[in-house]
Amino acid sequence: MTSFPTVAKLLAERLEVDVDTIRPDTELESLGADSLTVVELMFDLEDEFEVSLGDERPSLVVVQDIADNIDRLVNAKSGS
Amino acid sequence: MERVVITGIGAVSALGLGAETNFLQALAGHSGISVLAPTLAANLACGVAATIGFELPDLLKKTEVPLFDRFSVLGWIAAHEALSQSGGANDALLSNQSGVFWGTGIGGALTVEAGYIDLFRDHKKRLRPLSIVAGMNNAAAGQIALRAGFRGTVNTYSAACVSSAQAIGEAFRHIRHGYAARIIAGGSEALFSRGILSAWDALRVLASTDVAYPERSCKPFSQNRSGLVLGEAGAAVVLESLSCARARGATILAELVGYGSSNDATHMTKPDPGGQARAMQAALSEAKLQPSDIDYINAHGAGTLAGDLAETQSIRQVFGAHADALMVSSTKAVHGHTLGAAGALELVLSLSALRSGSIPPTAFLDHSDPECDLDMVPRLARSGIALRAVMSNSFAFGGSNVALIARPFTE
Repeated sequence: MTSFPTVAKLLAERLEVDVDTIRPDTELESLGADSLTVVELMFDLEDEFEVSLGDERPSLVVVQDIADNIDRLVNAKSGS
Repeated sequence: MERVVITGIGAVSALGLGAETNFLQALAGHSGISVLAPTLAANLACGVAATIGFELPDLLKKTEVPLFDRFSVLGWIAAHEALSQSGGANDALLSNQSGVFWGTGIGGALTVEAGYIDLFRDHKKRLRPLSIVAGMNNAAAGQIALRAGFRGTVNTYSAACVSSAQAIGEAFRHIRHGYAARIIAGGSEALFSRGILSAWDALRVLASTDVAYPERSCKPFSQNRSGLVLGEAGAAVVLESLSCARARGATILAELVGYGSSNDATHMTKPDPGGQARAMQAALSEAKLQPSDIDYINAHGAGTLAGDLAETQSIRQVFGAHADALMVSSTKAVHGHTLGAAGALELVLSLSALRSGSIPPTAFLDHSDPECDLDMVPRLARSGIALRAVMSNSFAFGGSNVALIARPFTE
């Protein structure tokens, strides 16, 4: 599975931009998502996918970075 | 020392949005007090409050909302209005000399309480990640500085009901002594939650509900007053040095000329006329005015038995024979006691009185307490009065007292 569509949808809602403008390689900063926006987003994604980043502080530069981290946690949880 | 002028005002309260609306409502004696929602008032003696029931202007992006406790929202709305009126370019040099001095009694307490509900009632395992940034007491000041691009001194004052009066007074001194050219000063308070209301209710200082007319439950200086009515608000003034205002070509609304502060140091909650008098005298002294130069006082006048009596006595002590010529009113009858925002909101109303020559009444005052024997401008506004100077009083739990004096600007 990939969490990218959910990540893009939540980002689009928060930033009030068209979801179609969000691509995997879109830089978060270029969307107007600062570090605090990303912290809030990750919190909701953890709830949505029932995973936890714990004390990890991943480097999140482009939208796919977020999706990759969520996917990794989801896969680890499901044991795949 | 620099003269300090006012070039912008802003307010939001249960009376409405905008300084002008607030003043017109206060003049008309239209009350913003109403019956509390049952979800807030259940099992409490307190039944009324001055809550903001209208939709607030949408000044925030969706991503910014989690960063804003309601006290920051109210603060930014008021500051935004004051800044818009003050106008002018914000070049880098001036920006470095521009600050924010903000008052709040309990800051982001709604955010803190929401976190407790998450943890202890709903048994969630974690809190929202921006709880600290939204809930901290300097959140409103920080947000205002960020949005205004003001990069000088940014201070937060928390001294219960004098918080914003103190913030304005200290900003006045900061400019007077050359530490800043321009400061957005004021305060905001948002307190309507079960926890906060329950704490106030337990203190037994809140007014009983006027069953026939709930909007008249706050009765300053009245024989049948029974306590204060809580209110939420944000209010702001833009203060600047006269030289800064002239250089920017700003429209000068009035001049702030005096600030006095004192502490009773007698009791945590019981007001002391002597302490209040010291604050008023200090403000007069700083303004280089005689008591007879003051025409109107916007009283603290919270509607408590002890407080209104003490203020009557302290005014008599300071003003002597002139006390009987003063007009004194408490606008809390209509906007409630907005705690950390009160000093700023009432200064904004006093400035509007100064500029318009109209005095807002002590609304609904039809049974004056014989011991509160000053001209409390009962029930009806007065107009067509050339005011020479106005004073705004604020007194707080913890014993703090503040008096501010403004007068029309003249060269």
